[in-house]
Amino acid sequence: MVTATRHDRLEITDLTVEYSSGGYSVRPLDEFGATFESGELVLLLGASGCGKTTLLSALAAILTPASGSIRLGELEVVGLKRAALTRYRRETVGVVFQAFNLVPSLSAVENVMLPMRAAGISTRVARPRAEHLLGQVGLQERMGHKPGGMSGGQQQRVAIARALVHDPVLVLADEPTAHLDYIQVDGVIRLLRELAQPGRIVVVATHDERMVPLADKVVELTAHAIPESGPPETVTLAAGRELFRQGDAGDRVYVVQEGAIELVRGRADGSEEILAIAGDGDYFGELAPLFGLRRSATARATKDTTLMSYSMRDFRALVAPGSVAELMSHGANTEA
Amino acid sequence: MWLIGFRDLQWRRRRFAIAVVSTALLFAVSLLLSGISASFNNEVARTMKELDVDTWVVPAGTTGPFTSTNLFPASVAARVAAIAGVARADPILLFHEVVRKPKPKDVNMIGFTPGGVGQPHVTQGRLPSQPGEIVVDRSFGAAVGDVMRLGSRPFRVVGSVHGVTYLAGTAAAFVSMRDAQQLVLHGAPLSTAIAVRGTPRGPLPPGYERLSNSAVRADLGRPIASARSTISFLNVLLWIIAAGIIAAILYMSALERVREFAVIKAMGSANGFVIAGLASQAIVLAVAAAVVALALAKLIAPAVSLSVEIPAAAYVELFVVAISVGLLGSIAGLRKVLSVDPALAFG
Repeated sequence: MVTATRHDRLEITDLTVEYSSGGYSVRPLDEFGATFESGELVLLLGASGCGKTTLLSALAAILTPASGSIRLGELEVVGLKRAALTRYRRETVGVVFQAFNLVPSLSAVENVMLPMRAAGISTRVARPRAEHLLGQVGLQERMGHKPGGMSGGQQQRVAIARALVHDPVLVLADEPTAHLDYIQVDGVIRLLRELAQPGRIVVVATHDERMVPLADKVVELTAHAIPESGPPETVTLAAGRELFRQGDAGDRVYVVQEGAIELVRGRADGSEEILAIAGDGDYFGELAPLFGLRRSATARATKDTTLMSYSMRDFRALVAPGSVAELMSHGANTEA
Repeated sequence: MWLIGFRDLQWRRRRFAIAVVSTALLFAVSLLLSGISASFNNEVARTMKELDVDTWVVPAGTTGPFTSTNLFPASVAARVAAIAGVARADPILLFHEVVRKPKPKDVNMIGFTPGGVGQPHVTQGRLPSQPGEIVVDRSFGAAVGDVMRLGSRPFRVVGSVHGVTYLAGTAAAFVSMRDAQQLVLHGAPLSTAIAVRGTPRGPLPPGYERLSNSAVRADLGRPIASARSTISFLNVLLWIIAAGIIAAILYMSALERVREFAVIKAMGSANGFVIAGLASQAIVLAVAAAVVALALAKLIAPAVSLSVEIPAAAYVELFVVAISVGLLGSIAGLRKVLSVDPALAFG
């Protein structure tokens, strides 16, 4: 069986995650790629919904991607089965969850012992190890306390100690500062920084930019809109050609000059739902650049079509110099 | 696995205490019903032993001396006694009476021949030696020296027997054959059965047949067979309700712990680890309820007017049933646990 070693790098290649939400197909990660080196503290930055947690779930082998590869040294994580999957989750990766996710009925030391007991390690061995780890995160005085009797920062440190019980090669932290005040944030950030040493990769998903200076690598997952990019352009599409696909990053707004564009959304069963048909004079695609979202629908010409493509700034000046609400109310499809 | 299950029980102790007490009450009632059912069976055996008869002779076609009243001349006993293999044969008169004490109370009357087969073995006092004297079972509630009225006649209690009841706990009372005939037959020399010591090896008088003790025992148990089957049915219902209580508690607990289970799974724990935690809770809950039920049954039993004789097997059965009921009740929760997606840990 192939296992990860201390000096392995993490290579993510063409990772696509797709799932069903409300009957529609959603693709939070579309052919994502990155490489993280041993000893690095990697920040995944981006707004809610941009795929940070999805990426962590895939790295933790909790979520199976539609395609792509996650490689930790020689170990291919995607497609791990049963015993190998359990072993990977148990020994190779340690996860610090957003809301601490401690078991409320267990004391701090019992929470840290839990993954070891689940792995069949005896209490005689697990308890000293848990106590040692709690000591390392500065909680030697709180070992017998239940989560309800601890501050957010203390709970987060227990969660970090729990993630370290098997001395994992990969540590994943989902919004580790989300529920903490500024004093508690300081301790947790320092702790995560200390964890990222040769032999371990620490990947932190956050929208807390205070962590950026401490990171070795920052990956921005937001589908950035570039409102100022480029002058207006004429785009011609033959019938059946796609202008953009659902899930693409979007930086332009389109106005149909002649022809027709159908806006369709992919359903989870593979079929498509037509949301709207944009005809002469209609515009669409304003939400993605406006709010930094990915395209929520695919735009496809139903016949030979000519469009004008605008940056967000030019488009606002042209169509709705007033409010954003007014701009949104006139679009052919307010979701695309 | 035990730790997390046990700690969760402590964490939600009030809820589990309520579940334990509720389930324990059901188990206690189940135990009491088992005890009542067992006493119906035991009393038949005790009564048969008390009368100490080897063979019964009754008019042909009679299903049993305790359930049918087919009168025939008591003198037939002498003819039976003359048959080879018969050491002694005495007439017996069995009938039902109601005593006003001052409230009406049922009693199974047994008219016996003093010194003959079917004579009771008193545990207190003495046997009737003259007209108007009676021996009653202790469960009737009459003490030696009391006077009780049967019909219009007063009878003085001179002795008591213990555990001689039949037909669902109705006490037996013994009077002399002559007094019995006076009470219900205006003194006519008739009887309902002949109690035989020994085994007749020759033909019986025409129109009569013999019944073995096992046939009589089966006949005596027949009127209460439906009561016993009803009790068994009610017991099953009680167990199902107990399973329902455990199921509701554990399912509610599983719903509340979805995130917890997701985290445990996300950490690489096998389903078995999570399932074992919940199943252990079900077993602890059910066994705790069974233990409390033992105490409750002992407390409640004296308040039950029927005899409660809980057999040792019922205690063993209770724990087997409790564990089975607990595991059955945990199925819904276990299904929920199995369906938990570890990705929820990130939610």
